[in-house]
Amino acid sequence: MEPQLSWYLALSAILFTIGVVGVIIKRNVIAMFMCIELMLNAVNLTFVAFSSYFQDVTGQLFVFIVMTVAAAEAAVGLGIIITIFRNRETLDVDESSNLKL
Amino acid sequence: MVVQRNPLYSAISLVGVFVSLAALYVTLSAPFIAAVQVIIYAGAIMVLVIFVIMLLNVEDEELRPRRLRFLVPTAIVLAMVLIAEVAFILFTVQVTPSTPASSALSVGLTSSIGIGLFTDYLLPFEITSVLLLMAIVGAMSLARRGDLPPNARVVPGAQVLARDVLSPVAGEDLTAVETESTDEAAQLLGLEPRNRSGKGE
Repeated sequence: MEPQLSWYLALSAILFTIGVVGVIIKRNVIAMFMCIELMLNAVNLTFVAFSSYFQDVTGQLFVFIVMTVAAAEAAVGLGIIITIFRNRETLDVDESSNLKL
Repeated sequence: MVVQRNPLYSAISLVGVFVSLAALYVTLSAPFIAAVQVIIYAGAIMVLVIFVIMLLNVEDEELRPRRLRFLVPTAIVLAMVLIAEVAFILFTVQVTPSTPASSALSVGLTSSIGIGLFTDYLLPFEITSVLLLMAIVGAMSLARRGDLPPNARVVPGAQVLARDVLSPVAGEDLTAVETESTDEAAQLLGLEPRNRSGKGE
C-alpha cells in the first residue's frame, strides 16, 4: 500500500503535539529545549512531505533554512542554559521565574 | 521522550526520533535532507545537548508535578471535546480525492536543491549566514565569564592580596598586590614559607 500524504501529516501532527506537551509539562530547561527541537522536526516533516507530494523543491529549501535556524538556536540556547545554571545552580524553570536575581 | 525523568534518556530517545525521521525523508525521495538531518541534528545538535547535560551534571530526578492534579479532570474534558471536533472533521468534511504521488527522481537531489538555493533563494541563504554569525557571537558572549578583568591571569600557586592585609598602615587601601607564588605571599605576610614535603623540619 502506497503511503499517503495524510499519513505523514498525521505523524507530523503527533510529533508536534508531543513537543508541545513536553514544553508544557517538563520543568527541566534542557528537556524543554529538546521538545522545541522535536517541534521543529515535525514542521520539517510536513515540509518534506508536501515537497514530495507537489514535486517542488522549495519545501526542502525551507527545511534547510529551518535546520540552520535550529543550529543557531541550539548554540544560543545552550549558552543561556549554562549561564542560568552558573547563576542559579538549578535547571528548574519554576525556580528561575525572575529575570533578575 | 517526554515521559523520561532523566534528561539524558530523553536526549538518546530524541536521537532515535531524528534517525527515524531521516529514514522517512529517504522514503519521501529527499536523500539530501536525510543526510543533513543525520549530520546536523543527530550529530551536531544532539552532541551539543548531551555535552551540556553532562557538563551541568544534574542527576536529581524530576519529580512528578503534584500541583497539576486538580487540572486533570479539566484536561480530560477538553481532550474529549478535541476528539469530538476531530471526529466531526473526519466524518463530515468531504475528502478531496488524492492523486498518488509519482516517483520523483529529480526533486530531492542535491543539485536541484543547490540550484534553487543559489538562484531563487539567494537572499534567504545569505540572511541565514548572517544569522549563524550572530549566533556564534552571541554564544561566545553568553558563555564567557564576566567577573574577571580581561587582563587577569590565573596562575596556579600565585596569590593576589589586598594591600591592607599586608600592612596595617595602609588602612583601607585595597590595591591588589600580585605575587608569583604562595611562598612569596607568605613572606610578604611575615609567615614562614611552607616547607614542601616536610623537608627542613
